[in-house]
Amino acid sequence: MTADQQQRTATVTTPTDREIHIERIFDAPRDKVFAAMTDPELIPEWWGPHGTSTVVDKMDARSGGDWRYVIKNSDGSETGFRGTYREVSAPERIVQTFEWEGMPGYVSVETATFEDLGDQTKMTSISLFHTTEERDGMIESGMEGGMNETLERFDAVLARL
Amino acid sequence: MVQYSQVDRSFAALADPTRRGVLERLGGGPATITDLAEPAGISLTGMKKHVRVLEEAGLVTTEKVGRSRQCTLGPRRLDDVDEWIGSYRQMLNERFDRFDALLQRRKGTPR
Repeated sequence: MTADQQQRTATVTTPTDREIHIERIFDAPRDKVFAAMTDPELIPEWWGPHGTSTVVDKMDARSGGDWRYVIKNSDGSETGFRGTYREVSAPERIVQTFEWEGMPGYVSVETATFEDLGDQTKMTSISLFHTTEERDGMIESGMEGGMNETLERFDAVLARL
Repeated sequence: MVQYSQVDRSFAALADPTRRGVLERLGGGPATITDLAEPAGISLTGMKKHVRVLEEAGLVTTEKVGRSRQCTLGPRRLDDVDEWIGSYRQMLNERFDRFDALLQRRKGTPR
């Protein structure tokens, strides 16, 4: 792994019992990163896991606007995600709620900030959950779409115990 | 359908700082409930409850030795939980790699 690749690998940590902290550097100026991330036409190209397709049901990327994405898995099953934008301040900050429809009613708040590094942009995202269990449910939902191989491996580990 | 219950129990067990302290302590070797309760500054009854949660999650096993209860790590290890979070990290990295690739395509001059 080159130094550049290393720098661009996301760090994911759980600094407290109710948070997920993500940092990632993108190789583009801040205004481009912000514009791409809030463009509904581009979401299907990157948001959903490999081997799935993502449909943007709605995405009104303004303060107070709603969003909803549906991930369609290869087996025909669907997983929905939704939320509301609380603050959209181009090009530096997006605060939005996040709800996995697999755990309806459990809403987290995700604050993403974008730091201008010239040709690059550093994104810091902090997701705050109501309880630890909700946070861990979110980590499970990350597995839901497309991570089935890993999940099966993990199940095999459990089965051996 | 995949059963999450074992993982749910692991996460619930790990959600408490006292229980994480117990696992850390047991990483250094077996200990009795009394050994665990004293440095944590909680009652024996309180510690018994914490140990029971860890035991139900499979993170700790206990055995009656004389008049005390000896606790050891296992049979499940924290590695399972690390792997679980690691998969989430991998999912996010793949997502952001796709996003970065998209940015490069839009730039028109990939480097």
